[in-house]
Amino acid sequence: MNRRVYLDHNASTPVHPEVLEAMLPYFTERFGNPSSIHGFGREAREGLDTARERVASFLRVGKEEVVFTSGGTESDNMAIKGVAAARGRGHLITSAVEHHAVLRTCETLGKQGFDLTVLPVDGYGMVSPDDVRRAIRPDTILVTIMHANSEVGTIQPVGEIGRITRERGVAFHVDGVQTFGKLPLDLEALNIDLLSFSGHKIYGPKGVAGLYIRKGTKMASVQHGGEHERRRRAGTENVPGAVGLGKAVEVRARDMVEEETRVRVLRDRLWTGLSARVPEVRLNGHPTERLPGTCNLCFRHIESESIVLGLDLKGIGVSAGSACTAGSVEPSHVLVAMGVPLDWAMGTVRCSLGRSTTAEDIDYVLDSVEPLAGKLRSLSPVKA
Amino acid sequence: MRYSETLIEHFRHPRNAGMMRDPDGVGESEYAECMDLARVFLRVREGRIEDARFQTYGCGPTIAASSAATELIRGAALADVLELADAQVTAAVGGLPPDRAHAAQVVTAAIRAAARDAVARYETTSPEGE
Repeated sequence: MNRRVYLDHNASTPVHPEVLEAMLPYFTERFGNPSSIHGFGREAREGLDTARERVASFLRVGKEEVVFTSGGTESDNMAIKGVAAARGRGHLITSAVEHHAVLRTCETLGKQGFDLTVLPVDGYGMVSPDDVRRAIRPDTILVTIMHANSEVGTIQPVGEIGRITRERGVAFHVDGVQTFGKLPLDLEALNIDLLSFSGHKIYGPKGVAGLYIRKGTKMASVQHGGEHERRRRAGTENVPGAVGLGKAVEVRARDMVEEETRVRVLRDRLWTGLSARVPEVRLNGHPTERLPGTCNLCFRHIESESIVLGLDLKGIGVSAGSACTAGSVEPSHVLVAMGVPLDWAMGTVRCSLGRSTTAEDIDYVLDSVEPLAGKLRSLSPVKA
Repeated sequence: MRYSETLIEHFRHPRNAGMMRDPDGVGESEYAECMDLARVFLRVREGRIEDARFQTYGCGPTIAASSAATELIRGAALADVLELADAQVTAAVGGLPPDRAHAAQVVTAAIRAAARDAVARYETTSPEGE
C-alpha cells in the first residue's frame, strides 16, 4: 500500500551509500580549508586532489582542466560568460531546447551586445549539424549545444558538431549534465572544449558540479577573489561535495554500462506497456538516440499536473512537462520547439528511471496510470 | 502536500462527474491562461438545484473544486446559486494556494453561467412565470 516509486532521476538522484561514506569524514575530521598549509588543510587538499583525479581520469583529460563549481547552472554560466568575457564581443550559437541555464545566459549576453543565433530543432528535438555549419560566421566565438536533453532525452549529434567547430576554430561548449556518468564520453573524439557536468544526477550530492576546460581555451574568470581552482573560480572549495562527486564518478565508471543497459530495458517496458494500455499517448524525443532512462510522454486531453498529482497519491514521483505557475500554464519550451501540438503538450509527463528502478516498479506505474488516465479523461469535456 | 485533505479527497473521488440528459441549465467557463475548462449541468425543481453534474479539464485543484462545488449547490436555491462566490467554492475544498485560486474561479463562473441558463430557459418556456 505504501509503495513508493521514484521516476524523476533527471531531476535528482539519491546519494549512493559508497558516496556518502566517502564524504562523511570531510565534514568532521578532515574539515580543513584546502588552501591552508598546515596538516588540517593538507588533508582536505588531498581529498580535493583525489576527487579531481577521479573526474579527470573518467573524462580522460588532465586534472588541471577540471574546475569544481556549485552546480550545473554555475558551470554553464562560467563556460559561456567566461568565453564571452575573454573575447569581449562576437557571435554565439545555441539551440532552442537548451536548459535555461544556457538559454537565458546566452539571451542575457545577447542583450549586452553579443549576437545570438538560436538554432531550431526537428520533431525529435535534434539540432542539425548543417544548421550549425551555416550559422557559424567569422565572428562566432562559441557554439553551445547540450549533449542530451533533460526533458525528452534526445541525444544531440555533438560529435558532428564538434568536427565543424574544430574545423572552423570556434570554441564548443557542451552541457553534459544529463549524460555525464550515464553514457561514455570521449571529449577528444568529440572535439569538446568545455563540458558542464553535475554530481546529483549521478548519485552524488547536490551543490557540487564541474566544468572541463580544454587547455588553451580562451576564458576569463567570472567570479573573482582568491587563487582557488587555478584562479578560474574564486571561493573556498566544497571539499565534501567534491569528494562525493569524485566517488560518484568512480562508482559510475564501474557500474554505468551494466546499469544503463538494465534501465534502457525498463524504460522500453514502460513505453511498450503504456502504448498498449492507454489510448492517445505519445512518446516524445528520439526513438533511439535518447537517454537510457528517459521516457517523456504526452497524454492527450489530460492536464499534466492532474496526472502528476494522481500518481503522487499512489506514491509515484514523476514530473510535469508543462509547468503551471502563478496561475498560468507554460508548455515546455522544448516541446514547443519540437512542434508538439498544444493539446498534447499540455498533458506531458516525464518519467526518468534510475539505478533503483525495478520491473515491479514499472508494472506498478502501469497499473496506476491506466485507470488514472481513464478517470481523468472521463471527467474531461475536451474530447477529440 | 500543498493541497488540503478535502481537496485531495475530492480529487481522488470526484462527486457528480459526468454529463446529464436534458438538463435545465448548462454553463461553461474557461480559464485561458491555464486552458482549464469546466462545464456544469443543472437540474432545477421548484426553484432549487436537484442535481448538478460537471465535466472538467484542468489541474487537480480544478477537478476537486468542480466536485466540491457541485456538491455544495445541491439543494440550494437557484437565486442563491446565481450569486455563488469564488470564496464559497474555495472554502468547500478547504482552501487553495494563491497560484491555484483560478480553480475556484473557473468552476464558480461555470456554475453561475449554468444557473443563468436555467433562468433564461425557464423564462422562455413559461412567459407568464408560474
